[in-house]
Amino acid sequence: MNVRIGYLYPDLMNIYGDHGNVLTLVRRCRWRGIAVDVDELKPGDPVLPGRHDIFFMGGGQDREQVMVARDLIEVKGEAINREIEDGAAALVICGGYQLFGRFYRPFDGEELPGIGVFDAYTVAGRKRCIGNVVAKSALGGKAGLVVGFENHSGKTYLGQGCTPLGMVTVGCGNNAEDRTEGAVHLGAVGTYLHGSLLPKNPGVADFLIERALSRRGHLLPLRQLDDTIELRARQAAIARAKKTH
Amino acid sequence: MNIAARSVLAFGKSVGAATRVFKLGGGSTLPGRIARRLYPGFVPSMVRELPLGCALVTGTNGKTTTSTLLASVLDGAGITPVHNRTGANLMAGIASALIRESDLSGKLAARIGLFEVDEAALPAAIRETSPRLVLVNNLFRDQLDRYGELDTLAGRMREGIEGMDGGATVALNADDPLVASIGDGLEQKVVYYGIQSERYASDTMQHAADSKHCTACGAPLAYEYYLFGHMGKYRCPECGRARPEPDIAAVDLEMLGMEGTRCTISYPGGSVRLRVPLPGLYNVYNVLAATAAGLALGVEPETVFAAVESFTAAFGRVERVDAGDHQLLMILAKNPAGFNEVIRTLSTQPGRKDVLLALNDNIADGRDVSWIWDADFEMFTGRLHNVTCSGIRGWDMALRVKYSELGEASLAVETDLERALDASLEKVASGGTLYVVPTYTAMLDLRAVLVGRGLVTPFWEG
Repeated sequence: MNVRIGYLYPDLMNIYGDHGNVLTLVRRCRWRGIAVDVDELKPGDPVLPGRHDIFFMGGGQDREQVMVARDLIEVKGEAINREIEDGAAALVICGGYQLFGRFYRPFDGEELPGIGVFDAYTVAGRKRCIGNVVAKSALGGKAGLVVGFENHSGKTYLGQGCTPLGMVTVGCGNNAEDRTEGAVHLGAVGTYLHGSLLPKNPGVADFLIERALSRRGHLLPLRQLDDTIELRARQAAIARAKKTH
Repeated sequence: MNIAARSVLAFGKSVGAATRVFKLGGGSTLPGRIARRLYPGFVPSMVRELPLGCALVTGTNGKTTTSTLLASVLDGAGITPVHNRTGANLMAGIASALIRESDLSGKLAARIGLFEVDEAALPAAIRETSPRLVLVNNLFRDQLDRYGELDTLAGRMREGIEGMDGGATVALNADDPLVASIGDGLEQKVVYYGIQSERYASDTMQHAADSKHCTACGAPLAYEYYLFGHMGKYRCPECGRARPEPDIAAVDLEMLGMEGTRCTISYPGGSVRLRVPLPGLYNVYNVLAATAAGLALGVEPETVFAAVESFTAAFGRVERVDAGDHQLLMILAKNPAGFNEVIRTLSTQPGRKDVLLALNDNIADGRDVSWIWDADFEMFTGRLHNVTCSGIRGWDMALRVKYSELGEASLAVETDLERALDASLEKVASGGTLYVVPTYTAMLDLRAVLVGRGLVTPFWEG
């Protein structure tokens, strides 16, 4: 069994500890005896059919995000859509999440087109949403909760073609209006939560790994790992989220 | 000084005295906060009394160490500054220092002001203190939840600096591309400093690197080598923009672990071989920064270097404490770049270490603890013996340690800082050292425990 991760724009989109998400995928595969490789996909690099089982993209600063948007449209977008429809998994955070939607509309200047993996769009907001987030989610393990830290001013609205990752109980989420947080379409997960997301949310990590394996024809349930520290860290983060809001 | 400032000053002094009497802390920000609220012109009217003007020190890492170094340089030159030395680096902290160091008539004993300033507070500090020198040491992501993006922050800092008097000096770190770019085309005199040595360089970038693109054209920068984070010798292959040649440079480095670094510092008109008495490359930058600032303020080179060589660290940044049978070495680390330097420095010491990692998420630490995933904990592999994780987010720290797979190191979690300190000290062999690496408020809390045990003095008496 092996899994190959396509790490999109690691030099450009790596703000807020996003590296921890890739590290978590790698470790949780290897702890189960699943071989894993990480390919860095930089501007200009093509996405080859069937090569990557999980795509990852983090958040970036405005300048980097514009460069990435261009490369996604010109080089990788179509192929990524094809791979997701074909069963590949993906995790995209913050700026990466916005670019996987249909478009980003700034206050002024040109609309930035996204690649439309998610039926969602983002508009610039005046208020920055910063703080701990807790959301009820089907990918939240036994407790049914995901937890993370948001830091965004864009407001994202979901269409009919995707479901939210969860519903916030603490924090803003997608747009601070409808309580939705993130988006899920097939094996692709988009979210504003970093922190990093996956270490404290092993349910989301294992969902991505399961998707990757089933695409390769391995339909076995994943072996359980000892997640004591993961769950204690999540509990502490939830307690802190409630206290600091 | 005017009546408004004088009456506000008297009130502020009584607030400061009250906070100390009632043990509300060192009185390092409250008097100033009240004074500025009562009279917004308080700081400008006070600094006008300083015949030698003001100097401001900013940057993500090393503000307190650099400004404390510079304070001893000025001290050595016979011009002891008024200085916000407890790290209270917003406007209220500056105002508090002015209150503390003046008598009731508003007369300051000091002739020069030296203030460390939070990066985001720099424009306001420039407006209120009209400095003759501003120094920017580095810019790393640190509390993005507070500052927003690094480029935006640098842009605001530059706007503030452009508004300074044309005769003022700006001292900048040449090795940090974003910081160096602040100097482009400034009317003010610009002095650059940097490290010219590949001995401890690497050809790969750490995860803590933040400024990787040309500030002029946006193309990825090409590096001849990296020192730490995004510091190094860089050049833009597209537009040719390159690291400026430093006026003050450290060459021939020899790192001596916790004992510091031996190097030669060259400056316009000479060079000197000395030992930087603080560990890590980041402290070489702090010394270069203090040297650049000291020389720019007119201090003789011999005086500058004598002060540097005899320096002991600012409280808590690096602090050695004798705890009976053990030594405790406390090193503040509040962001990935700082943390990486701590790891690198510990790794130059022989033997496997006992460490206490203390992670808090109070406002002064940054609410967001994601940064621990950007620090290269993997460099610790094979170097640790016992690891204890503590603080409000001690479990997050434990998770980071777990995912970095540190081999045989044993991992314990105790979120209560005092209990964690005792538990981790117990594991240290007789005569051994416990390395304590806390975030800012965890450091203050741990220090309070040590003060309670009579092992160190409160920092406002230091």
